[in-house]
Amino acid sequence: MLGGIHLYQVVVVAISSVMLFQGIKEFVSRETGQTVLKLLVRLAVWGGMALIAIYPNFTLFMARVIGIEGNINAVILTGFLFVFLIIFKLLSAIEKIEQNISEITRKQSIHDAHEQIEKLQKEIKEKRAKE
Amino acid sequence: MSDLTALVIPVFNEAYVIGSVIDEIRRTGDYLIIVVDDGSSDDTWQQARQKNVLALRHRLNRGKGAAIKTGILAANLLAADIIVTMDGDGQHDPADIAPLVEPIRAGHCDVVLGSRLLDRQEMPRVKVIANWAGNFFTWVLYGIWVSDSQSGFRAYSRHAALIIDTRADKYEYDSKVIREIKDNRLRFGEVQIHTRYTEYSMGKKHKQGLINGLVTLFRMIWKMIA
Repeated sequence: MLGGIHLYQVVVVAISSVMLFQGIKEFVSRETGQTVLKLLVRLAVWGGMALIAIYPNFTLFMARVIGIEGNINAVILTGFLFVFLIIFKLLSAIEKIEQNISEITRKQSIHDAHEQIEKLQKEIKEKRAKE
Repeated sequence: MSDLTALVIPVFNEAYVIGSVIDEIRRTGDYLIIVVDDGSSDDTWQQARQKNVLALRHRLNRGKGAAIKTGILAANLLAADIIVTMDGDGQHDPADIAPLVEPIRAGHCDVVLGSRLLDRQEMPRVKVIANWAGNFFTWVLYGIWVSDSQSGFRAYSRHAALIIDTRADKYEYDSKVIREIKDNRLRFGEVQIHTRYTEYSMGKKHKQGLINGLVTLFRMIWKMIA
């Protein structure tokens, strides 16, 4: 603890800030697959984590609403956060690799058929010229 | 000048029917047929090649969405004016191609969705329920209500085919197109199509069943967060 700030608060806020920054950056630069709804979900998930880290008392309100109380929850929550973060990054990485494999497969299939495609392009061009 | 209509048919292990599907399409009109074999383990690709169509082959199985995107890319390279996507298992009736492309030809739509649910009598009850669930989640996640969000029988104008860009490679591709329609403000319409539920098509393992449906839903939600 340093000046009333705990280490976990710094870590959670740092991670959340990076994820929020990435989300907003991708949305603003209109990268593929970015929608308003996706941005809102990101803001809710990562913003929510940052909110709890900055205002821990917010969890008391949540605990009252949900009905679970006790300090051990903080440990479990941190564990969950860590595991969630790892799964999140792993699944994102796998998805990116999957997309790259699809893109390579696509390019390969077009390349394999390039002679037939060029022949068809010529035929279509000639047919259109006649019309 | 007549419009060039390309038919994109994604296939996976359809050697048994792909030949007859191509023959049936040819009897209904003059189309540029593009078959995309998505890494089949049988001789689907060879069967398609023998029919003198543009037969593309994925060396690895990448999913229905990935195969459709490859077919659309090839159709764009060939400067097709209208692109139609349809299943390769013989469920879709090629007689429906003409009514499907008509709104695009007339300049009324950029995308036309074939709908099996405009006439529910033909569809098994379990599929009606599954499709309604698909429509509901598509509406919740992407904001457009359509009567058949999971139909693979669709037509796209060249403009739409060039502009639609989704990362979805599996079955969620069909729903992602709905999102693209909304995001790009494309004009769309729905046309009733007839589906032939044969013993062959209903018995296939890789079709969108309950488990696959849940996996598709998970993928749709996951991509909202990731």
